[in-house]
Amino acid sequence: MTTARSTQPRGDVDAVLRRLRGTVPDTALITDPAELRTYECDGLAHYRVTPGLVVLAASPEHARATVAACAAEGIPFVARGSGTGLSGGALPRADGVLLVMSQLREVREVAPADQRAVVDPGVLNLQVTKAASPTGHYYAPDPSSQQICSIGGNVAENSGGAHCLKYGFTTNHVLSVDLVTPDGDTVQLGTRAPDAPGYDLLGVVVGSEGTLGVATSVTVRLVPLPEDVCTLLVGFPSVPDAAAATSAIIGGGIVPAAIEMMDALAIEAAEAAVHCQYPEGAGAVLVIELDGPAVEVEHELAAVEQACRDNAAFEIRIANEAEERALIWRGRKSAFAAVGRISPDYIVQDGVIPRTALPEVLRAIGDLSQASGVRVANVFHAGDGNLHPLVLFDEAQPGQGEKAEEVSGAILDLCIDYGGSITGEHGVGMDKAKHMPKMFTEADLDTMQLVRCAFDPDHIANPGKIFPTPRLCGERPGKHSGPHPAHELGVTEIF
Amino acid sequence: MSTHDDLGQASPELRDATDADAVDGVAPRWVAAPTSADEVAALLRACAEHDLAVVARGGGTKLTWGAPPARVDVVVDTGHLNRVVEHASGDLVVVAQAGVRLADLQKHLASARQRLALDETVPGSTVGGVIAASPSGPHRMATGTIRDLLIGVTMVRADGQVAKSGGKVVKNVAGYDLGKLLTGSFGTLGVITEAVFRLHPVPAAGRWVAATVNGDLGGLLGSVLTSKTVPAALEVDRPLDGPTTVAVLVEGVPAGVEQRADKVARLLGDAAEQSEDGPPWGSTYPWAAGGVALKLTCVLSAVPDVLAAARDAGVSVRGSAGTGVLYGTVAPDRAADAVRVLRAACVARGGSLVVLDAPADVKSGLDLWGEVGGLELMRRVKDQFDPDHRLAPGRFVGGI
Amino acid sequence: MTHVDLGLPAFDEHKPPSRELIDDCVHCGFCLTTCPTYTLWGEEMDSPRGRIYLMKQGVEGAPLSDSMVEHFDACLGCMACVPACPSGVRYDKLIEQTRAQVERRHRRSPAERLLRSTIFALFPHPDRLRLLRGPLRAMQKTGLERLLRRSGLLERIAPSLAAMQALAPELDSAERVPERTPAVGTRRAVVGMLTGCVQREFFPGANAATARVLAAEGCDVIAPRQQGCCGALSAHSGREPEAQRYARALVDTFENAGVDRIVVNAAGCGSVMKEYAELLSDDPAYAQRAAAFAEKVRDLSEILVELGPVAQRHPLDVTVAYHDACHLGHAQGVRSQPRKLLAGIPGLTVREIEDSAICCGSAGIYNILHPTAARDLGDRKAANVLATGAELLVTANPGCLMQIATSVRRADGTIALAHTAQVLDASIRGLSAADLTGRR
Repeated sequence: MTTARSTQPRGDVDAVLRRLRGTVPDTALITDPAELRTYECDGLAHYRVTPGLVVLAASPEHARATVAACAAEGIPFVARGSGTGLSGGALPRADGVLLVMSQLREVREVAPADQRAVVDPGVLNLQVTKAASPTGHYYAPDPSSQQICSIGGNVAENSGGAHCLKYGFTTNHVLSVDLVTPDGDTVQLGTRAPDAPGYDLLGVVVGSEGTLGVATSVTVRLVPLPEDVCTLLVGFPSVPDAAAATSAIIGGGIVPAAIEMMDALAIEAAEAAVHCQYPEGAGAVLVIELDGPAVEVEHELAAVEQACRDNAAFEIRIANEAEERALIWRGRKSAFAAVGRISPDYIVQDGVIPRTALPEVLRAIGDLSQASGVRVANVFHAGDGNLHPLVLFDEAQPGQGEKAEEVSGAILDLCIDYGGSITGEHGVGMDKAKHMPKMFTEADLDTMQLVRCAFDPDHIANPGKIFPTPRLCGERPGKHSGPHPAHELGVTEIF
Repeated sequence: MSTHDDLGQASPELRDATDADAVDGVAPRWVAAPTSADEVAALLRACAEHDLAVVARGGGTKLTWGAPPARVDVVVDTGHLNRVVEHASGDLVVVAQAGVRLADLQKHLASARQRLALDETVPGSTVGGVIAASPSGPHRMATGTIRDLLIGVTMVRADGQVAKSGGKVVKNVAGYDLGKLLTGSFGTLGVITEAVFRLHPVPAAGRWVAATVNGDLGGLLGSVLTSKTVPAALEVDRPLDGPTTVAVLVEGVPAGVEQRADKVARLLGDAAEQSEDGPPWGSTYPWAAGGVALKLTCVLSAVPDVLAAARDAGVSVRGSAGTGVLYGTVAPDRAADAVRVLRAACVARGGSLVVLDAPADVKSGLDLWGEVGGLELMRRVKDQFDPDHRLAPGRFVGGI
Repeated sequence: MTHVDLGLPAFDEHKPPSRELIDDCVHCGFCLTTCPTYTLWGEEMDSPRGRIYLMKQGVEGAPLSDSMVEHFDACLGCMACVPACPSGVRYDKLIEQTRAQVERRHRRSPAERLLRSTIFALFPHPDRLRLLRGPLRAMQKTGLERLLRRSGLLERIAPSLAAMQALAPELDSAERVPERTPAVGTRRAVVGMLTGCVQREFFPGANAATARVLAAEGCDVIAPRQQGCCGALSAHSGREPEAQRYARALVDTFENAGVDRIVVNAAGCGSVMKEYAELLSDDPAYAQRAAAFAEKVRDLSEILVELGPVAQRHPLDVTVAYHDACHLGHAQGVRSQPRKLLAGIPGLTVREIEDSAICCGSAGIYNILHPTAARDLGDRKAANVLATGAELLVTANPGCLMQIATSVRRADGTIALAHTAQVLDASIRGLSAADLTGRR
């Protein structure tokens, strides 16, 4: 297992600290070694680096001042929200500053008549829906960690979630951000209305994993609550049956709000964690949610039930009440962490394949698992082919970690072979930068980094993430020479 | 070798430009029609070599949108890049070359009862042109604009490098989303050669409900928005000399559509009329060819205000009241004042006003975009992608 | 200033926080929103996940620094994170193990030591607590008054005392629970009853009601007069030996009382008594007996639901907000039972409190040791309680009642307070809602 830990000296972080004294309260500048270490990882805990300095921003000005101080000193910074990311996107830098945005957590405005809310970046995803629901609206993107992940983090990762099948991703629901650019300026990208003139920089910033700046305010779209919501929990004898049902539903012209699949091992874990009472003996379950006008839901429900029965479903439970629905969803949404109950260690993988390839790819994953003796639990967004294989192992057993890594990597290779992606929603972060060249050519990555160079020519915004090799800015494309400053900063040698 | 020869070697189908090839009044020297992305790449490398300015052209339907280019040497005609590369109907995904006409693509998809959920607001548009200019129509309320449907893109950079971003799956966060950056960039960052789109099933039924409105427009729009009928479109049309019309489209299963349409009809009042075909203006813009073309945006609740301000300014308006994106036109002699007044009204309401097109003499006197947030960053992006400013130079915001 | 032993590892060999339990944490962060201090401050080290990280550092040999202790101390021990954890991390065990280590190995400032020792010289002793109820003059000759003033404890608890005087309806009635209350009608069980310390002295009405309700439901109720403190406050503060002493004494007291169940009406007490087996696991003379004792412990609402109602409920026309005491809801998982019992009363409406899982800030002696944090949490809770529009706040813990009473008062709000037992008692006895709310 990759366990990385840096104990590098703090270096010029002290210079940043000196600049911030007086602007940011001392209590918000964390330098105590024990306290710093509590920030050494995000939700991907096997990458660990103790940050040189933690700044707890309590205002946009704190964030701006911190970035400006970093820019002045040439010190890297990493922004962090709730620290729930699963790709090491908020992995700190030993020689840098970790800018924690979780104290900026006011819902500033809910404007139902405009279908907008303006929120601080540290506001939790679910908090937006909570604030909007009295007005008959909600915030559609719903990552499984929605009770704790922050909007700022969602913007950085372009977070998805179960309901993105029908409603789209964070990028489709963010209208505007106030962005502190890596040079310490603040710029508003986008407007409250759609289609702000000029380049759609916001579209690139969303999902850029903190490499283009730090959002200090986010304007999001609110969606009217549907008239009717119906959740089905369907038990199937096997994963291929459930996959076939998924294809039949979508092939039949229905786009449900969500289609989620869990296999037997994942069901076992969720059952242990939250007693969700999924159908006994199921080789796979589908959680299908239909929403919209009541009459449409009714029609779709009949069609979905038929598609499931046609594909060997042995139990169909229909939940119309909020409480029953919540129980069904609790099983699904707790599934990742619940796997901790059935295995001492595990890797949460995130890959995407064309949905029609589901049966084949799942079979191939099963083969991989069998051949290697490494157990793999599958939880995923079946509707859009976003797999989350959970690769189980026990770090205490010699060699198991490496084996699990191998299986996990092989699953990503499968995704690429089938024309998919190495990440559907968890981001590239630290974890998958090494896989990027399998999916993209050098020219592709180089072109993406042109944007990076425009925003952050000195590579101080979350360096080392997404891109396996930093591009030298300020040079003509394709004419790289000399050591990159990022190398001297220690950007690329931690792992 | 001569410049012409170099270009011809890169892209054999090369001809001298004629008057008809002018880009918003600026005449190019050559028109090249490459037949593959590789040819486009070779062509752009040759252009780089010879410091030639390049404008990409699809259907040529929106070449007068934006500012006229500062210079054009080569028009890259995507007419031969007209292949639907792959339609993975089970995955609701299509891969199409940039020169595929939107209408042809839709025809292709219809056989699988699928569609690219985008209105053809300018007949004759190609896939590449739609991405570069990002027009939008009534359906944007339900399915967004091309930005929301584009999941992968291949482009050729100013230096001839071929680069892609995104992919063939709907859900994908690997790397920067360059598709978003290219959307609406008017060809200033690269030449789009291929695009991947997510598709939607064609709904079994659809019905328009339309009515003229005399009273409280805001209240009426609000009631439709909160009616839980989930309209696919909520359009408003306010000509200078006629009544305001509101038109609502519902799509879905036949029984559902009927019920929902009835519900909308009740909201719209006694005069509401239902039809399969929708209002006479369809998804077309309110301007006549060669007229002043304005795009106005504002927050939803301010649509009635903007409509009122538009009428005062002599601007007739039509567009998506369900998203706050409207299109307008005005007599050329009133354009300058209208743009000034109406832009202030839109900006004060969270939006903007862009002059998409206007007669040359009018256009030259107008600020087409107004103040653009993040312009400095945009310049830096342009400088990175096209350091010599050879791609559609001057056509975009701030002279980009 | 406190003294730091640099270089000395944080924890010794005696029950350090368990490495296995620490490793169960997968760092998913699902605990963060349930944590009152994270909710207040948004800092990693004041969240369960962060505190586990601090424990891990200690287990790996880092010294017990002042900052580590500060963050351990700041934990309310509300246990909201435990049921919220999808991975099943036993934070409750971890923090208890850690606190015991902190108490043994960390030297606090003299002022803090004095405050803590005063607290523990007062609260577990009903006879001393009783003195607080009257005028302070009565205390003077005991010397307790001087100690209370010198330690600063008096001024910290004064607002609570004042609020209770004003808001708790039956504070003045000094009803005592008899040693034996016979079952009404057919006897269905013989139960022992813990009368507690704060409960007994400040909420005697709740105790009397508990005994009456149990009797009405067919229980012989045995409340041994000589019973002492259950040790909850000590156990939750890391004072392990003290807690063990109290536990042994209580086991002795109830062992020969011939009871089927031991009923508790104070959440904090019930939660620690259910854990006696672990508290005394190293004591060969008591380990088994403690386990047998713990087996019998039930919260009042648990046993009432177990038994099922026989006494007739009379209507109570009242709207109540039910507050989950952390040590009932989170620590014991008792959430549905009180609601079920309340809902069984004709005419009564139960309203849920927004953010009900977040602690009110009482947390045993937390509101005395960390008055600012406790006040902030109390203010939030008061706002949410008042937002329900209920006339009566019902909960099952004396600490919560005192804390919420104080906070509601600070918010210039009014709401009557009652223990679940008192509401049931009023219904069974056919009293009116006004008897509970004090409004006529």
